[in-house]
Amino acid sequence: MEPGDSTKQARAAAQLRKGVLEYCVLALMRDRPRYGVELLQALEDSGALATSQGTVYPLLSRLRRDDLVTTTWQESVSGPPRRYYALTDSGRAALDEFTRVWPGFRNAVDAFLTTPHPSTGDLV
Amino acid sequence: MKTSADLVRDYLSAVEREASALPADRRQELLADLSEHIEVTLAERPKASIAEVLAELGDPRTIAATALVEAGGEAAGAPVRSDAGAPARRGKVHPLVPLLMLTLPFLVAAILPDDISAAEFFSTVLRVIGAILLCTSVHWTAVQKTTGVLLAAVLPTVAISIWLLPGVAPSGAGPAHLANLLTVALLAGTAAWLWRVRRA
Repeated sequence: MEPGDSTKQARAAAQLRKGVLEYCVLALMRDRPRYGVELLQALEDSGALATSQGTVYPLLSRLRRDDLVTTTWQESVSGPPRRYYALTDSGRAALDEFTRVWPGFRNAVDAFLTTPHPSTGDLV
Repeated sequence: MKTSADLVRDYLSAVEREASALPADRRQELLADLSEHIEVTLAERPKASIAEVLAELGDPRTIAATALVEAGGEAAGAPVRSDAGAPARRGKVHPLVPLLMLTLPFLVAAILPDDISAAEFFSTVLRVIGAILLCTSVHWTAVQKTTGVLLAAVLPTVAISIWLLPGVAPSGAGPAHLANLLTVALLAGTAAWLWRVRRA
């Protein structure tokens, strides 16, 4: 593969990630509070959403300032205390909203990518 | 040869330098988050080297750039890239100021005899200023501001206006006192809620 192709591919992935990352982070907290390293590990394991780990902390900080998540410190059996992130009611509402619109969005993009689009102009 | 502590310190000071355009509290928070991450990761993966952990965290410049973008989204209009050293000037008043201006004037006006129209005029002016300060403050989100203005300014004003229409208010001092009490409770409740949900 040409180096240029992989750069373009990375750009497409980065653009997509930028839009959905915060909702994936919120989704990770849906069932229980999580601490930062745990969240990053889950993103890493997903492959597509893996990102430079340090960039997730400014995102978490904004989610906290926007009242979508709250944080609490909890002691750990190993190592330092962890800061746990949990959804607030408005965080849950934002996640529900995203969950509602996502299938339609995904299907629309799939349709654009797979269906041939004949030109509709008067090209007679 | 650099020690592990040196590597971490160099890394964090690189982030600090790259993030110099961030407000100080945001920068400190970012540094605290990153150093916590490093400590926790090392505790969980004792075999990982500091260099690995820092490489996974990523380029300090990228992290700082992300932090600036995230911080820029809410300070609408505040220049982030150019002239980023200057902090946003608007909304720097203490969060108590708009809350007290919205609530206290009504309380004072309710205590004073109602024929002092100057007191009522000043009360109204102060409450309008309070509402403006609330709306321009950085301590609340747009939704919280709207809810606050509706509950603490619009609703009482509409209720009082309807009350003052001829033939609406029941006669006697009792109902008037009750209405005043309800309004004070509404204002105090709204102010308490705003105080609780404010962000530092």
